[in-house]
Amino acid sequence: MQPRIIALLPRLRRFCEGLAGTPYDGDDLMQATVERALTRAHQFDEGTRLDSWMYRIAQNLHIDRARSQKRRGTSVDLEAAEALTGDDGRQITEARSDLAAAQAVLQALPEDQRATFLLVVVEGLSYREAAEAMEVPIGTVMSRIARARQRIAEELAMIRKPARQETAQ
Amino acid sequence: MTDDEDERLAAWLDGALSPEEAEAFAAALDADPALAAKAEAWRANDQALAGAFFAAERPIDDALIARLGLASVPVAANDNPRRSRLGWLAAGSALAASLVAALVFTVRTPAPGDDLSAALERTASLASVQLADGRTLTPLLTVRAADGRWCREFRSGGETALACRKDAGRWTIEAHGQAATGPDAGSIAMAGGADPAPLDAAYRRLGASDPVSAEQERALIGKGWN
Repeated sequence: MQPRIIALLPRLRRFCEGLAGTPYDGDDLMQATVERALTRAHQFDEGTRLDSWMYRIAQNLHIDRARSQKRRGTSVDLEAAEALTGDDGRQITEARSDLAAAQAVLQALPEDQRATFLLVVVEGLSYREAAEAMEVPIGTVMSRIARARQRIAEELAMIRKPARQETAQ
Repeated sequence: MTDDEDERLAAWLDGALSPEEAEAFAAALDADPALAAKAEAWRANDQALAGAFFAAERPIDDALIARLGLASVPVAANDNPRRSRLGWLAAGSALAASLVAALVFTVRTPAPGDDLSAALERTASLASVQLADGRTLTPLLTVRAADGRWCREFRSGGETALACRKDAGRWTIEAHGQAATGPDAGSIAMAGGADPAPLDAAYRRLGASDPVSAEQERALIGKGWN
């Protein structure tokens, strides 16, 4: 199973980063996902898709973590995270900036819509594949992906206004 | 606009409508400029967001694979994951308005992810093309996966990768390997270079055919891979 997991790491890493919101938390989630997959390899049904199985593990772990973080109230707020960045923060590549901006928009979505958007639009899964990975009916994928896009359009419209004013000043 | 129409629009963008439904929806788009504008906006948003993920992709290296417990080989001593991880934390958390503006203002330019697709769609193996972000991309070979998809190995930014074509000219990366050192584009057999394992695994997983000939590849590019 290990070579097959390695082969899908680029996709799993993107998905985890999208769920978790930052590269650091994303890699942490990816690590936990791989660990769980390896310890539960015997539970994997060879007749099904390994990527769907791992996307599902990642999503379950992420939801568990988000819940317990909420309970403990330990989530790092953005201001604090920015204060942590120090000089390194100024040396971000343009690509990372674009991704941070994209993440800011995606974080406005409910978890289930964000996961659906990541699987369908970023990873290119069919509705059926996404439905399998999330263990929901196809109809649910259809409504989630439409709502996700609607919400993204609204978020971007809101962001665009202040951004334009800022550059005009 | 009704939720139903939103769902049809989304399904149309994702190629999930039946041919009849797609035809009916295309007619609705022609008749409704507001709907057409919304479709265009959603598509542009998709490209910008997905493109941001692909452009910022970090290579999967040996150290990472070892850290994940996926390799029996011990990590090299000079690996320094802690520092780079904090660096990425900084990048990911800096949600300043200027960065959000970067997305807003790049929404209309072709997303890098699609830039990759466009390059793989049109470039013959061993020819090089420059991507919008300045990197050079060189396709190395073309194979066919067992499920019928066309896949291409290519070199870009110091690494090799394998991408397969989904419908509508969109190529998605299946695996990364590390590029062989040296610019010898002629050595196709060595394309996996220093670390062929991830690509080899991907080739096995995909049940890839032998590479197609240059002539076959030209024909494929000519007729849009169909």
